[in-house]
Amino acid sequence: MHVTIRIAVALASGLLAFGEAAAQAACPVKIGGVLPLTGSMAPITKKIAQSAELAIEHINQGGGVKGCPVQFILRDDQGQPTVGVDAAKYLVEVERVPAFTGTISSGVTGPIIASVTAPSKVVQITCCSTASPFTLDGRSGGYFFRTIPTSKTQAYATASETTKRGLKKTAIIYVNTDFGTDMLRFYKAAVGKLGGEVAIEVPYNDNQPSYRAEVSKALAAKPESLLLIGFPKDAVTIVREWLSLGGTKNIALNNSMRTMDFVNGVGAKFVEDFFGMDNAQVAGPHVDAFNKAFEDKFKTDSKGPGVHTQYDALMVMALAMNIAKDLTGPSIKDAVRRVHVAGGAPVGTGPAEYKKALELIRAGKPIKYFGATGPIEFDANGDVTGPALVWKVKDGQIVTDRVITIEEMQALFKRIEN
Amino acid sequence: MLTGVFSYLVFFACIVLILGILTLGLNLQWGFTGLFNAGIVGFYAIGAYTHAILTAAPQPQYLGNFGLPWLVGIVAAMAATAFAAWLIGLLTIRLRGDYLAIATFGIAVSIQLVALNWEPLTGGSQGLSRIPKPLAGVFDTPLSFNLWFLCLLAALVAAVYAALERILRSPWGRVLKAIREDETAAVALGKSARGFRLEAFVLGSTLMGLAGALYVSFIGFVSPFDFLPILTFQVWAMLIAGGSGNNRGALIGALLVWTIWSASGIAVTKLVPPSHAAQGAAIQVILIGLLLILVLLYRPRGLIGEAAVVSRHADD
Repeated sequence: MHVTIRIAVALASGLLAFGEAAAQAACPVKIGGVLPLTGSMAPITKKIAQSAELAIEHINQGGGVKGCPVQFILRDDQGQPTVGVDAAKYLVEVERVPAFTGTISSGVTGPIIASVTAPSKVVQITCCSTASPFTLDGRSGGYFFRTIPTSKTQAYATASETTKRGLKKTAIIYVNTDFGTDMLRFYKAAVGKLGGEVAIEVPYNDNQPSYRAEVSKALAAKPESLLLIGFPKDAVTIVREWLSLGGTKNIALNNSMRTMDFVNGVGAKFVEDFFGMDNAQVAGPHVDAFNKAFEDKFKTDSKGPGVHTQYDALMVMALAMNIAKDLTGPSIKDAVRRVHVAGGAPVGTGPAEYKKALELIRAGKPIKYFGATGPIEFDANGDVTGPALVWKVKDGQIVTDRVITIEEMQALFKRIEN
Repeated sequence: MLTGVFSYLVFFACIVLILGILTLGLNLQWGFTGLFNAGIVGFYAIGAYTHAILTAAPQPQYLGNFGLPWLVGIVAAMAATAFAAWLIGLLTIRLRGDYLAIATFGIAVSIQLVALNWEPLTGGSQGLSRIPKPLAGVFDTPLSFNLWFLCLLAALVAAVYAALERILRSPWGRVLKAIREDETAAVALGKSARGFRLEAFVLGSTLMGLAGALYVSFIGFVSPFDFLPILTFQVWAMLIAGGSGNNRGALIGALLVWTIWSASGIAVTKLVPPSHAAQGAAIQVILIGLLLILVLLYRPRGLIGEAAVVSRHADD
């Protein structure tokens, strides 16, 4: 009888001890991924998945997570919300991943945040979903991050540039998509703080033969300048009608119009006073190192949406897991904010830099991660900012007018959001 | 580990039961009445959005989001779907076979586009979030909530199943089958084929609306991406693989097809190295197709086909 109890107690405590040990350092450490490997997004996902593979390789070569190699478990969401939610739930419950990366379509990322990430307190870092409410309305409980700048960066930069040029009263014609409405919303929020005003907002639907009605409506408000948010083909039509009806040549444009198709479509001699915005590509050794590593491994260039941001999503995740005191969602969530600390020792991309970062972390020193997309510093909501550039057309060529550095951009964010 | 598997299975079962309600709705329309509804996802969307708009927490930028109780949302979702199905049915129900399929398919796509563009009401492509989960305050861990929701769903599915079995064995149900088998004969017997078809269409669609409302209150988020035509195809696969004309077959079909969908993904991650994940995903899609074809090859009438009905008086 007593012996049985003693054996039972011994077994139970053994199991407990085993359980604790497992929670401390179960090798390998699992990291999950959900990406649309098949379906309509598959063509762009190919390189994104390769970028993830490269990141995991660099993490493992550089020392893994807490002394363990990392095992990456990648599931396909097929671009379908129910499939994506099921895959994420599987990763979190069965594979017990404390953090995962994904996904691309906002329609899949949204339900994953609502039904898996936030309730289960698991960290999710996406390369690609830009729908603004995910980080803004508190639904994620702080567990959702993205390494891609949202349209906020561009909208704030545009507002800053128009007010800097002394254009107070602006009419806005925008394409009626989530991109267009996001840009409009953030522009309005920013321009109010910076001392400008919006004369009128006119939405348009794409692929129409004429936009005379929209243009006339915008002109009737007698604006000093026009902000046109949309895509080149329709924008050519709109600008031509705008100019022929006597509209001002002070026209601000979004990134999509930074193409010669637009300039030639309107006519180079008419566009000298126009200016536009775009996200600036960060330059530097950490960016070059990533590009070279990608090209060497996959024999193809690293251009394409989400490729750089996916690499950073996983590097940030792995660094945060090393910084975190244990591998639970809440600890990792807090640690994500300590991968880029002011005054920390700079670390870049690639296995050698990752190894250096681990040594610094082990020594208890702060680090400052510069990734494939530049310095990765999350704001209070879990968003990153990036540098922007102002472009214009000179002698029929698109040239960069000036670059708004990431430091200037961060200052601008503080000014607008406080 | 074990609690993890259990927790996942509970979640999985919830999705299966929601899909099961959809399949039961389709079974009433196709399995018993012969209505080729290819717009399942449209009715599912109406139920989902009605529930979301009525119950989601108020936000200044939206017209809806009334923050009403969960039950109000469920009942209203069913009512709204029934009304929409009645309107659509009035216009389309006289169409036969593939013509009805094309009409309903087009309507479902239109409903999805309305959801995408009517931003002040539906949130557009950003979707609506903060849709309350019933009794989430009482069941505050993911597992306890999912368990409670599973019980709720099981009770609802049992009730729907029992009610369907009951009415399908009634004279009303026998008329539906008569119409399916030979409409001319049914009309010759003095039955209004159009009226019965419309009733079955509305009732089946109402179940689809119920499934939509349950889905959004389980997930807590809705966007137009939840209502792509692929879902219509999946529900059809569930009904055909499970056994058209048999309510148990419909439920088993939902379980079977969703298991194939999910388990093939798990199998691929276990068997294919991560460096070939993209190819693995393609294999998964092939696997799903292959398994569905095998089911139909070996069980052409589905896993449980329709039971032969013989008159009580046949032996007399």
